[in-house]
Amino acid sequence: MAVDRRMVGVFGVAFVLRLLLICLFPSLPDLLTGRVEVSTPVNSFKRLQEGLYLYTRNVSPYDGGVFHQAPLLLPLFSLLPDIHSNPIPTAIFYFLVDLVNAYALVQISESGQSIQSRLHSAVRKHIQWDGVSVAAWFLFNPFTIATCLARSTSVFTTSGILFAVSNAVSGNSVNAMLALGFASYLSLYPALLFIPLVLVCYDQRLQSSKKSPKAVGYVLQHAAILAASVVGLLALSYLITGNFWEFMSATYGFHLLVPDLTPNVGLWWYFFIEMFDSFREFFIGVFWLHLASYVGGLTARLRRQPLFVIASLLGVFAIFKPYPSISDASLYFAMLPLYRHLFPLMRYTFFAISAILYSSLLGPAFYHLWIYAGSGNANFFYAITLVWSLGLSILLADSIFSALRDEWEQDHPEEQGTEVKQV
Amino acid sequence: MTAKSGDPVSLPAEASTPSKSTQRVPAPESPQAIQTRFRVIAAFWAVIIFLGFPIWWQTTSIYRAHLPIQEMVDWADGKLPESQHLLRTTQHTLDDLNEFAAHHLRLKLTNDTNGSPPRTGNDGVDTSDSTPEHAADIALTVHVRPEEGLVAPRSELQPHTTQLDIFYPPSQIPSPSTSNPPLSIFIAQELQRLYGEEKATIAHILSGEIAGLDSASPELTESISRRLRRSMKYAETYHLSFSLFTPGSAPSSWDIEAAIQEYLAPLLDAFAPISNFTIDTQVQLYATFSPMNPDPIYDEAEAAWTLKKEDLSAFINAAEWPLNPSIGSGPTLNFILYVPDPSQSPMIVKENRASSWIVPQWGGVFLLNPPLAKGQTSNPAYLEQDSLQSAFKTFSHQLLTLLGTPSTPSSLPLRLQTLIRVRAASLLLSASSTMGSLARLTESLPSIPIPANVASSVSTTLSHLSATCSHLREGRFNAALATARVAENEAERSFFEKTMVGQVYFPDEHKVAVYLPLLGPIGVPLVVGLIKEVKRLVAAWKARRV
Repeated sequence: MAVDRRMVGVFGVAFVLRLLLICLFPSLPDLLTGRVEVSTPVNSFKRLQEGLYLYTRNVSPYDGGVFHQAPLLLPLFSLLPDIHSNPIPTAIFYFLVDLVNAYALVQISESGQSIQSRLHSAVRKHIQWDGVSVAAWFLFNPFTIATCLARSTSVFTTSGILFAVSNAVSGNSVNAMLALGFASYLSLYPALLFIPLVLVCYDQRLQSSKKSPKAVGYVLQHAAILAASVVGLLALSYLITGNFWEFMSATYGFHLLVPDLTPNVGLWWYFFIEMFDSFREFFIGVFWLHLASYVGGLTARLRRQPLFVIASLLGVFAIFKPYPSISDASLYFAMLPLYRHLFPLMRYTFFAISAILYSSLLGPAFYHLWIYAGSGNANFFYAITLVWSLGLSILLADSIFSALRDEWEQDHPEEQGTEVKQV
Repeated sequence: MTAKSGDPVSLPAEASTPSKSTQRVPAPESPQAIQTRFRVIAAFWAVIIFLGFPIWWQTTSIYRAHLPIQEMVDWADGKLPESQHLLRTTQHTLDDLNEFAAHHLRLKLTNDTNGSPPRTGNDGVDTSDSTPEHAADIALTVHVRPEEGLVAPRSELQPHTTQLDIFYPPSQIPSPSTSNPPLSIFIAQELQRLYGEEKATIAHILSGEIAGLDSASPELTESISRRLRRSMKYAETYHLSFSLFTPGSAPSSWDIEAAIQEYLAPLLDAFAPISNFTIDTQVQLYATFSPMNPDPIYDEAEAAWTLKKEDLSAFINAAEWPLNPSIGSGPTLNFILYVPDPSQSPMIVKENRASSWIVPQWGGVFLLNPPLAKGQTSNPAYLEQDSLQSAFKTFSHQLLTLLGTPSTPSSLPLRLQTLIRVRAASLLLSASSTMGSLARLTESLPSIPIPANVASSVSTTLSHLSATCSHLREGRFNAALATARVAENEAERSFFEKTMVGQVYFPDEHKVAVYLPLLGPIGVPLVVGLIKEVKRLVAAWKARRV
């Protein structure tokens, strides 16, 4: 590949910016690591350190109930030098992961799948950003930077998802499934992306080759690949931990049953604090089904744009996941610039962006009032997380609306530019 | 919203007449779009039906194990055959109270108005010449001995055994011809006297707070209720905590282990069938009085420092002295040995020169004034076993009182036997009434879950209750107490089952508040979408038929 000078520039500046931040403010990473907005029980670097400490001393990392992340992260991090004496290598490792993620975004953007796919061709093709701009939006997003500096392990899930998508749009369906298997292994919820992702692969396959495979067989084949990759990773984890059910219940059981109600930017914690005990299981089921039910509906409605379904689902996950953090939002914000051509059709951008800015500024303040100053209570912070979710929901609904409008304009070229009416 | 807002979305646009307004009619929906919408709605409903309903069913269904409600209520009301039989035999023995039968003493446990299952403290009394099968279950052995030079028979109770010696003048040997020989009457009266307090106690427990028991004198009733007020509620295990408090630095150690072995262990062994005990000890130096407590006053006449009786309640510095309210499962009985500072020694209670007192339902205090040699300004650093003797004797008495042992008769084994019977009776009563409460609770709240372990606890309780009754009937009091203990334990466990208690205050109306706020907003669009889609399908089907 030809080395793009702009790309090198953007990546270099992003790298130097991160390096400057940790050199000028050495306490910044630890501060961010402790923030509830960034670190949740399932991606916290502090908890990873605890697990790592136990792991390197030959104790089960899940003893003590602090560590809830996938066991394969442990040998990876035990290779890095000690974080306390030498934090720079770990930080640089995270910077590189960020750059790799950005590179995957560049690939997704340059494939042009977001604008022109097998069944869909956007009306406003001329309005778009090139790959480097999309990568820049990702790399210079403050949420991404905060996630990277906080060394949250969500970035690995992000990598898995972005690589799954970038492989899918470039036709490597097997690699896409393997990457999705990695992401699902780390965080469970990316498995919900399977259906739209396999549709992206399928459309890509039909576009590139004359011989069209049977749809059902194709889906089953890829499901088998995904399952095999997850099983392989689980088997590796079993080799590491030695106690299968312990790590299954400490990681996936923790994701599914939501026992830790530490505040975060999501909607689950407050709800389950207030919940009657006897209804807890039922509402956990309801919340998970709510999260999962979007997959079918969105995929069916936006069959022509499976890549957009993936982007929207990432937005849905950022709102309705059990342990969301701003890293999930940053992933959604990374996918949105691929749909630059939809921006003119969006109607509430100002309101959505105001709500998101408002909540990201007031959130830490209200959390401080509640926890440290003691002059506020849990409702302060919860109200802010509601505003945050509201902002994201508006953005999500607005982008889905404009995608539909785009499809409709494609079907009815004569109606372009007319007023929209709700019927 | 436009003029078309009333039209259901699912109707094809051709079906609606062009509106009068200037607005253009939107382009007709393509069949493809209709199919897409059908798929979207189907996708959501598939999740609800195939995943949502099973989860709802699985997570909110209430497991109610079967409970023998009728039997439980019968126990509480004392209507069961076992207890009725018990009642009959009791009545029967009561009826021939005036005849002397060597093998049964009966209780005047008449008119059990509450209908509670009556227990007899029905004491099998063996005369010395009979051969008992169960030595442990013999309540009292009566030795009847002739003694010369007596005018009237006299009795003597051995303080350390369960033996009553009756001496009678040889002239009073009952002849088979007389029906009521004076000696028999005398023995019967003696036995009545011995068991008088027990009878009254059991009657008191059975009748609850109802005063005016016909058989007991008011003084006896008063003393019994006072004793019951002082004593602890029955528990399977009691924790005994022995603490040495001293305001100075000495004594800093005591020969507590030997003292407990020597003075207390025999008593605790004797209590083994009734309760278990765990013991801990502590030494606390520099234990000061609470600031609220008035300082002891030096009394010239007594040559001692005196505490006023009304101030004794503030003697224990509850705020600063580390006296745990409860360690482990059972209630704690605290025994405090207080060694006053040499400058305030000896210390006694002003009114009666006593050096110990009991704190009802809590424990006991003993003031130990170690003998001080002339000019000695400090207490001995180590308390010998011998110097603890008086304290531990007092503690033993206090323990007996706190555990509710009756004050008469004078023989300790007899008192413990009485306690066994009283405890068995009260446990039987309490377990039965717990069963009744549980039955009422489960009947009045159909929405509470009944876990399987509650059902098994209930059946264990019921079987042990009937075993207790039959043991009581046959005079095996130790076995009766053992089964009653099991019954009480299981009854309490089933009644206070955690998963049940949580649901007690959860009426069905609350479910609306649980389901609606979240599921309402989600459900309305889904249901409306489903209805519209079904309408469209029905319309299409009709159109095809026409």
